Parts: sequence; C-alpha cells; structure tokens
Amino acid sequence: MGETRKRNCFVKWISSGKVNKRLCIVTFMFFPLLLLLVFTYIPFFKMFQFSFYDMKYIGSREFVGFENYINVFKRDDCFRALALCGYYIVASFIQLGLALYFASVLSFKVKGGGIFKGLMFFPFLVCGIAVGFVFKFFYTRGFVLDTVLQWIGFELDNLPYWLRDSSINNASLAASSIWRYMGQNMVLFIGAIMSVDSSLYEAAAIDGATGWHKFRYIIFPSIKTIIVLNMILSITGSLSVFEPPYVITGGSFGTSTYFVIMNKLAHENQKVGLASAMAIVLLLIILLATAAQKLGFKYFFGDGEEEAIRTRRKREKARREQA
Amino acid sequence: MKAKKILSLGIAATMVMSMPLAVNAEDTNILDVTLGEDYTDLTADLKFVTHRTDLVDTVFADYIAEFQKMYPNITITYEGITNYADDIMTRMSTGDWGDIAMIPTAIDKDELPSYFEPFGEKTVLEEKYTMLNNFTYEGITYGLPSVGNAQGIVYNKKVFDEAGITELPKTPDEFLDALQVIKDNTSAIPMYTNFAAGWTMSAWDAYIGGSATGDPDFMNDGLVHGDDPFTKNDDMTGPYAVYYVLYEAVARGLTEDDPTTTDWEGSKGMINSGEIGTMVLGSWAVTQMQEAGPNPDDIGYMTFPITVDGKQYATAGPDYNYGINANSSDENKLAAKLYIKFLMEQSNFAFDQGGIPTVVGAEYPDIYAAFDGIELVVDNPAKEGEENLFTDVNNDSEIGLNVSPDDKSLIVEEAISGGRSLDDIMADWNERWTAAQENAGIK
Repeated sequence: MGETRKRNCFVKWISSGKVNKRLCIVTFMFFPLLLLLVFTYIPFFKMFQFSFYDMKYIGSREFVGFENYINVFKRDDCFRALALCGYYIVASFIQLGLALYFASVLSFKVKGGGIFKGLMFFPFLVCGIAVGFVFKFFYTRGFVLDTVLQWIGFELDNLPYWLRDSSINNASLAASSIWRYMGQNMVLFIGAIMSVDSSLYEAAAIDGATGWHKFRYIIFPSIKTIIVLNMILSITGSLSVFEPPYVITGGSFGTSTYFVIMNKLAHENQKVGLASAMAIVLLLIILLATAAQKLGFKYFFGDGEEEAIRTRRKREKARREQA
Repeated sequence: MKAKKILSLGIAATMVMSMPLAVNAEDTNILDVTLGEDYTDLTADLKFVTHRTDLVDTVFADYIAEFQKMYPNITITYEGITNYADDIMTRMSTGDWGDIAMIPTAIDKDELPSYFEPFGEKTVLEEKYTMLNNFTYEGITYGLPSVGNAQGIVYNKKVFDEAGITELPKTPDEFLDALQVIKDNTSAIPMYTNFAAGWTMSAWDAYIGGSATGDPDFMNDGLVHGDDPFTKNDDMTGPYAVYYVLYEAVARGLTEDDPTTTDWEGSKGMINSGEIGTMVLGSWAVTQMQEAGPNPDDIGYMTFPITVDGKQYATAGPDYNYGINANSSDENKLAAKLYIKFLMEQSNFAFDQGGIPTVVGAEYPDIYAAFDGIELVVDNPAKEGEENLFTDVNNDSEIGLNVSPDDKSLIVEEAISGGRSLDDIMADWNERWTAAQENAGIK
C-alpha cells in the first residue's frame, strides 16, 4: 500500500513540469558548459598558472612570482607592437562604416541583393590561413594588385612594394582584414535592421523623410546595441590581430604585432612563462578597452532603451537655465 | 589448502605457457638484431610523426610495404606535421604522441632520458652509425640520425658559365664579386634568399660553426664561452663573415627584388631553369632542386665562401634524428627499433635524399664530389655538465640560432632600408648574448 503511494508520488513528481524543466535545463546546459570548461576555462587557468613560472614546454619549471610580468613591461618590443593595433583599429572603423552602409542599402529591395550579400559575406567563410596566402599573391610585385593598378594608368615604378615598404605594409595587412570581416559585420547589421518595424519607414516617408533621415532617426537608434557589440568585437580583434601578419609577412619589416611576438617567444625561444604573462596583460588591456568603449558609448548614444547620458545632461542643463 | 595450491600452480603454469613471446626492449641492442630473422612474429601498431609531409604517401609508404614483407604483423602509420619544429614540442608535453618521432632540436639534453628510449651506449653504436653527438647524454645515445647534411651553397653551373665565372669563389668578397658578375652578365637573380619562408633565414646559422671557423668545438664551446662571438674578425672568418655575405648581398641589390613575396616551391624550378644563380641551403636541398625541372645536371654544390688559414671547411651534421617514445609499450619499442634499423640500413633513405651517409662506410652521393679536398667538420659534443648551456643561452638571448628566423630576417630588412649597419646589428647580438651568458652563470 505504502509502496504504491510512494511510487505514485515519484511518478507524479517525475511527470510534473518542475522536474522536466530542471532536467531540460541541466541536459541542455551540460554540453556547452563542459566544452566551455574543457576548452576555455581549464586552459586559461593553466596559462594563468604558467605565467608565474620560468618554464619551457617540456622540462622542469621554476616559480618566479611576478618576474614575467615585470619583464613584459620592461621589454620595449611588446608595447611598441601594440601601437601597430592603431592600423587595425582605424581599419575596423572603416570596416564598420562600410558594413553599415551596405547593410542599410541591402536591407531594402535591391536588384540582385541576395547575390551581393552572398559575395560580400563569402570571404568570412574562407579560413584565415587561406586568406593570408591569397593576399600574399595579391600583393606580390607585378601580380594582381599591381596589374589592376597598371590597367588604370599607374606606372609600376611609381607603385610601392606593398609588403616590403614599412610605411604602407601595415595598411596593406589591415586592408586584408577589412575584406575578410566586413561581410560578417554586414550580415549582423542586416539582421538587426530587418527587425525594425517597416511601418515606421512608411510613416517617415509620409512625413517627407529622406534616406539619410530614415537612417539617422529610425535605423540607427534601433540597432545601437548591435553596433556597440560589433565595435567591441572589432576593437578587441584589432588588439589581438595575428593571422594576417603571421601568414602574409611572418612579422617581418615592422609588421610584428603583439600576438606574433608572443608566438615567437613561446615557440621559438621556449619562453612559455613570459608569453603567458603577455597574454594575461593583453587580456587586461582588452578588458579595459571594452569597459572604456561601453562607457563612452553610453555617454554619447545611450544603452539599449536608455537615453544617452549626454542628452540627459544637456536637457537638465537647459531646464536649469530656464528656471 | 592443498587443492588451492595445485589450482594456483596450474593457473600460473597456463599463464606462463600462454604468455606471448617475452619482449624486453631495453636489453635488445639494435646492432645485434638481424632484420628479417629475429622477432618476425612480433605484433605492434606504430605511429610515426614526421616533418617530411612530402614523403608520407610516396617514399614512406613504399618503405612500410617493404618492411612488412619481413614483419607482416607490424603496422606503421605516418603522421606528417607541417609546422613540425613548433608543434612537436607541444605534443611531447603530453607524453602520448606516438612511437617514433624526429627528435626536436630545441629539447634540452638532460630531458632526453625522460622522453626517449635509449638506443645504447654511444661507444658501441659508433661502430655502425655516424654523427651520434647531438642526442647523446652521459654516454647514452637517444637518437639516430635519419640523414646527414653538409652545409654549402646550391648554384646553377650554367649561370656561372654564362657570367664567365671559371673559379668558385673562396672568400666572402670573392663571392659577392661573383654575384655582381652574375647580375651584370646574365638575367638571373644572383642570390635568392627565400626570405618569406622564414626557416630559410635561420638556415644561415648552420654556417657559423664549422664552415666559418673550421673548429669542431666552436658551437658548444667557442660560441658559448667566448667574449662577443659575433664581432668581426680581420681575416673574415667566424659568424660575422657569414652574416656579412647576407647583409652585403641584399644591400648591393644582388638578391630578389621583393623578399616578402618569395615562393619556396617556385624557387626550386627557378634555379633549375637558370633564373636563379645561388641559394644558401644545406646539401639536402640539392636533390629537390635537381628534381624540380628538366636540367638536373646544371645544379651544383659548393662550399660556403670562407677560407680559414688557406683551407676551406664545411659544417656537417645530422639532420633530424629518429627517437622512440619512452612511454610506449615494450612491443612497440622493439618494433620501433626494428623499423629504425631498417630505415638506417636497408631503406637507402640517406643516399636517396642526397645526404651524407649515417652508416659507417656507406657511399656518398655524387654531389659531394665538389667537396673534394674540403674538410667536413662535425660539431663536438658539449663538455659533461654543460650539455644545456648552448640551448639556454640561445633561448635566453632570443637570437635563436638554428631556431628562429627573426633576427636574421632583420639583417635583410636593415640592409634594404639602409637602416642599421651590420656592425650595429652584431653589436646588439653581442650584447644580448653576453647578458644571456651572465644569466646562465658563464660569466
């Protein structure tokens, strides 16, 4: 008698929504969390630990405290390399601008819109190493880029060596990353623009709004969040840029970014502890950059539904002046 | 009680009888085994990690087939790693990387026993094999060389004829003059650096020992203990002379126009067809250049143009060495020894690759004819207790001799931009080298 009641209880409990809900949560969370733990957090903590040791990949390790961190700040090549990120940050703004432009155009009915979207998104699907090789040939003296420029009237003798000339080679590399990531940004923007209620455009059109007005007062405020996200991603990406300089120039002729130096120290000179410390320092820099960006954006454009701090202050100031 | 005892005895007996062929890899000397007669029923599954990605499906597949005629139950799987020198170090830290590897050059000598199976005492192995210094620690050898290399310069004979060079240059300045003549009289690129490939730049480090000094103790003693080893010698010998050739050739415009976009695979065909005059590469490259086009006979090999007291030398030494994983099972270790013995003695690998033989008394390939009268210098091992010093100083200074291309690439960069002079660069190296020597407790 008691047995059956108990079983009834259990069956009831198991079939109640509560258990199912929890079971769902647990099973759905398990694998992503496991992957995150195994491939992100454990390696990260290992690296954090490495950064306090004088160690090679194999062999004995020696605890050295903060010496590696001190060395990162003492070396002049690390932070000089960070200055190169300026090129990539400028490039990322160009990239976002282009992406936003194409996204606003392609979100409306355009002839062959699908094809254009596909063509522009395509580079993102190509593996970074392959992109590197493509651009190596693209920039080779007398090859693709030079040929095209000669068609439109440039003389080969007046053209720079795109990868050798240290006044231009970082810009050449940054351009390759614009080509690669612009499409991805554009697709994210298109997704966000699609979610804008189309009746707003009609209403605006009746009020006599131009294309620019529509963009400034309807599209832009609605996709603010996605713009912030894209900017944060682009800038953190610029700080940790690796593939283009590593594959195309191997860091030669002054194109060695922070990551390229880190890779060299860890793999070629076997200074794993120092390289780990560099990675942690870069992480902190990225966190700071992200926080600064978020604050800046909040100040100028507001966060989500919230109004920008600047506009609020202006209004208050105006109100106080009136009073 | 009694019944139990009998039972346990019986079990023990059956266990002994059913035990497979007793294998003790440690006691099996690679020299005592006769291939095709001993251990022919050994069963094992070997994994071989190699840097020769180009040979995995062709030459190595043939070797496996031939080996399996003698040892049908041993299977071998090759895994080619493109970025070998870097990746293998990461893989090794796990212990579970396979059974046979090409021992990474960056490894510390005192780590050898914990990662690799000993082949035996060096004094014994020397009766049969050559060039065992690099991976011998405290008298025990952990690696056997796959191929031997001599360091020289690959050149195109036809280009030299066309330019009117009748005698091979013997000093850095004679060589630079010869390059100038090639530039003036032919359409070929006098010297191709293959800059973009990266490793081709660290390949220059191979000449600073034997080729530049004639001293077999230079790398492990003169360089490690010496004061400012990169300083210019008045007779143009030593490391400075080697990098002088590189710096001056680039500065005088005797190399390719744009080093950032050189193409290694393409360069083989170019030297074969006479579009390139010289390339500074080890003897292993000769076969590849010969096979890259229709003119194998035009490819020649010469010593590096440095003369020490009227005599020319060439660094010689082992390429990558075979090593057996210390963590493999006994069967696998033994099978690995058998296969390595086969590779060393029966496959003809060293000869086919145009290398210096790794077996005592074996034949030299034809390309070494040009080395007649030139003394091959094999580096002596470091003194006992100093086995790690070179690696330590090399890593700590970050000059990365034989490992890292960066500082050598910088020589080319400065020569092109007309920035720092070679003396300045070498002074910087001396400074870093001395600091690292101090850290290592040498000074």
